[in-house]
Amino acid sequence: MTARLVPAGLVLAALAAWAGVALAQPKPPGESCVACHLEIGDERLVKPVKAFEGDIHKAKGFGCVACHGGDARAAGMEAMDPAKGYIGKPGRRQTIQVCGRCHSDARFMKQYNPSLRVDQVTEYATSVHGRRLRELDDPKVATCANCHAVHAIKPKSDPAASIHPLRVAETCGACHANATYMAGYKIPTDQLEKYRRSVHWKTMSVKGDLSAPTCNSCHGNHGAAPPGISWVGNVCGQCHAVMAELFAKSVHARVFTQMGAPGCATCHNNHDIQPASVEMVGLGDRAICAQCHAADDKGGQTATEMRALIDSLRREHAKASALLERAEHAGMEVSQARFELNGANDAIVKARAAVHAFTLEAVKKEADAGLAISAKAHARGERAFAELRFRRNGLAVSLAIIVVLIAGLVFKIRQIERRPKSRNAG
Amino acid sequence: MAEHALEPEAMEPEATRRSFVNWLLGTSAGAFLVAVFYPVGRYLVPPKAGESAAASVTLPVKPADVRPNTGQIFKFGNRPGILVRTPAGELRAFSAVCTHLNCTVQYRADIGHIWCACHNGHFDLSGQNIAGPPPRPLDSFVVNVRGTQIVVSKSA
Repeated sequence: MTARLVPAGLVLAALAAWAGVALAQPKPPGESCVACHLEIGDERLVKPVKAFEGDIHKAKGFGCVACHGGDARAAGMEAMDPAKGYIGKPGRRQTIQVCGRCHSDARFMKQYNPSLRVDQVTEYATSVHGRRLRELDDPKVATCANCHAVHAIKPKSDPAASIHPLRVAETCGACHANATYMAGYKIPTDQLEKYRRSVHWKTMSVKGDLSAPTCNSCHGNHGAAPPGISWVGNVCGQCHAVMAELFAKSVHARVFTQMGAPGCATCHNNHDIQPASVEMVGLGDRAICAQCHAADDKGGQTATEMRALIDSLRREHAKASALLERAEHAGMEVSQARFELNGANDAIVKARAAVHAFTLEAVKKEADAGLAISAKAHARGERAFAELRFRRNGLAVSLAIIVVLIAGLVFKIRQIERRPKSRNAG
Repeated sequence: MAEHALEPEAMEPEATRRSFVNWLLGTSAGAFLVAVFYPVGRYLVPPKAGESAAASVTLPVKPADVRPNTGQIFKFGNRPGILVRTPAGELRAFSAVCTHLNCTVQYRADIGHIWCACHNGHFDLSGQNIAGPPPRPLDSFVVNVRGTQIVVSKSA
């Protein structure tokens, strides 16, 4: 991974300065380092110099020596004298230290970004990446420079940044979706492919909601690790709080833990999470409950009854809504009834959430409220149609009178026209 | 013969008047029938009605009756709106339709902001989504106080 993602000899990492004095007085690049690298013309030397033009550290006034050491004021190879602190390309472990030298220093970082966290190195030490680097000296695990595009580091708010929400999955996938690179780790490499089919990715990429979860939302970023089976609900519960709370109190929370099954992910999967639908409840073809329950066990019966309640609520809501829409189309004033019917939609959403309590009572409580609202709205729709029928009957009577009147007028006119003729005939 | 010879000339002006009156009555009868049956037709087959196009609504509540740190739902067309008086005394109004799954939000005095009971979504007093699953802020309305009336309008 390092060989692929980090150009030789150059890890600038987002963060660092080489010496305390240098840190306090950042110097821009453009001294001898840049001049020589460009003059030599070797692509490996030119590329980092050019990339650094767009780096946040360059914008803040830091130069090459902040990470690589040396003396940029000296000409030629003297600038790269180890006696002057030159380290060349930091090694993998060294990269963490180089970046951490500034980024773990709260006082120093406040000068540039007071809101930026300074616990990245501590977090990294808890990550799978950090542990493997420390304990196994694994040469393939990610360090700072792998995820933060070395020499082209940008803040996460920059759409071109490798850590922008829309690009995080791609950044992680650079290694984790590469089956060849990941061979030997015995973990799947289809996470990126699955994630891109998920409702979370669609929410972010299609609806433009950048707060939708991506890899680091569930796994952490600097402390990246798979969520444990017993606490995956806490991860999902950051956003899906109501369901997580109901689930935590439910019988399934205990049973799933005993089974070694992850809470939410047991029914919803993890990377390819699809929009939840009522078809997941019950014992039908697409029902998740049917994977463990059958029609003759108590859980299966509860699932069937919960599904029937929700279906009934949706049916009644749709029926009332359609009736009111037709009444409105027919010219009747039913806006109040339609306004109140919004409560039934709330009840459907709440009943679906209540499924996570896995008790019939919880679903019934919400469903009953929604059914009552739907029934009331439907009755108002019926009354509107009764009123419409009355008005139409009135119209028919009026029309009949008008038609009779016209016919009478026509008859009278003809009678008047006939009189002179009969007189003339006489 | 003299009488017969004069007859066509004598009839000429009368025929013109008669045809004119006939034309006038004929067109009047046609207009009458159209005036009667066109509204009947439009009544029986009304045009398609879309979403309520209400652009503003006068609330059935006086400004003085809305206490600080309270909120109330009002009807804006077919959809709910929420009127909030902030603890500082300012009146604000938003669409009360949660941007997550269209539930009706409510004001919670205990936490001092707008909350959706369905999935525990939170919005601040500017309508910004600040916690939970709502993906975007509530649509905001313009509040105008005219004497003892509160008029809420859609933003321009």
